[in-house]
Amino acid sequence: MSLLEKLEAAQRSQDVLQALGVHAIGATIDVAGSATEGEIAGNRVVLAGTNNYLGLTFDPECVDAAVNAVRSHGTGTTGSRLANGTYGCHASLEQELSDFLDARSAIVFTTGYVANVGTISTLAGPGDVIVLDADSHASIYEGAKLSGAEVYRFRHNDPEDLAKRLRRLGERASRTLVIAEGLYSMLGDVSPLKEICEVKDRYGAYLLLDDAHSFGTMGTNGRGLAEDQGCEDQVDFITGTFSKSLGSVGGYCASRRHDINPLRAQIRAYMFTASSTPSVIASTRAALKLIGKRPELRTRLWNNAKRVHSALSQLGFTLGADASPVIATIMDSPQQAADAWQMLLDAGVYVNLVVPPGAPKNLSILRCSLSAAHSAEQIDSIISAYSLVAEHLLSRPKAAAGGSL
Amino acid sequence: MGRVLRPIVMTTYNDCVAQIQQMLQSTVAKGEVVGEDVDLIEELGLASLDVMEVIEQLEDVFDISFPINELGDVRTISDLARRVQQLTDR
Repeated sequence: MSLLEKLEAAQRSQDVLQALGVHAIGATIDVAGSATEGEIAGNRVVLAGTNNYLGLTFDPECVDAAVNAVRSHGTGTTGSRLANGTYGCHASLEQELSDFLDARSAIVFTTGYVANVGTISTLAGPGDVIVLDADSHASIYEGAKLSGAEVYRFRHNDPEDLAKRLRRLGERASRTLVIAEGLYSMLGDVSPLKEICEVKDRYGAYLLLDDAHSFGTMGTNGRGLAEDQGCEDQVDFITGTFSKSLGSVGGYCASRRHDINPLRAQIRAYMFTASSTPSVIASTRAALKLIGKRPELRTRLWNNAKRVHSALSQLGFTLGADASPVIATIMDSPQQAADAWQMLLDAGVYVNLVVPPGAPKNLSILRCSLSAAHSAEQIDSIISAYSLVAEHLLSRPKAAAGGSL
Repeated sequence: MGRVLRPIVMTTYNDCVAQIQQMLQSTVAKGEVVGEDVDLIEELGLASLDVMEVIEQLEDVFDISFPINELGDVRTISDLARRVQQLTDR
């Protein structure tokens, strides 16, 4: 197979979606007028698939901070962190993240993807072992592959399977990096982090938690799943992103247990890529302050999530997990999911369509993510759009109680 | 008294092949057996996720962990059986 024939074969998975008659992957949001409303293909829609959990993308404090920064520091840093791309604001954000997470040190990266690839591929190397949750994000798999370490998967959210794998490693467990996520972004399920911590401690392994979707959304202070489950001191490394709760773009790695500063001169994805623009850093810093100052944002987010979860369950949908800011409805087939996605869009609601091979367990999913900024009326619109889908596409009788995976 | 010698139960290549063939029983007509050199994806038509599932079952049966770095090297039952047999030997 030639170079390009191989790419054509990969394109076939995209063609499957085209054949379903929808343009769900990479749908263009022509106008994003607020954190919760936009325009897609000429239709005004409620945005319910944008991971904008706290709705801070249009918060006046964040917007003002970004505008002021671009005026004072320009549009870009034109360099990498190790060369000319570290400004005072990057260092300040690192300090503020450390303070927020009570970490010894934190490193800021240009994206969350880069934070994972860079950190994982540097922490582990040839001769080491990585044991990752099977449903891990692509950036985790990519970092693991790049590390040169031996890589094993443990069954999704299964600490017993993790324990088996660490036991089989024998003495090599102490050279092992275990990787799990907090809130899993596709099905909205949460990892049994405390149990995972106990298992890795029993075998003397290290744990990296990717808290991308739980930072800001979980824990009394918004510090994420480890705070929620009371095991922050057991987690060795936390990575995360600025592009969910913090409403911008970027990523970080932080640690309570270890000083990670020496990694700066080793992580190639930190050393050889341009740093974040000052305006991005400024809005991120403003958003981080708001997470601390406005816990009501989390309350509102979870109230919205619980309302939608309960309504969809009553409508007869099979849901991916208990209520969380990500609510996945499991459809019968890719075609049914695509039809439902289009029906929601026509009814003015944008969610994400996830079909094989991109979905876990080969499922066809409609993925809805809620925001603290969704008004009660917007939540009503989301529920009523889903009720159209239930009425026209669900094979189960409308009155039947919804199941769960 | 000398050391008590425990019997060593070796897993042979043929044990692995038989186990895999049994796991793949549902993919072929009753009475048929998938040949050792049949390409699991190209010829048998399994998806890579199906292959992963077979590997997960083998991991439980033989109490081994299969490195995912090596998934790309597995094309046939023979490839898989050889590697599983080596892993049980460790």
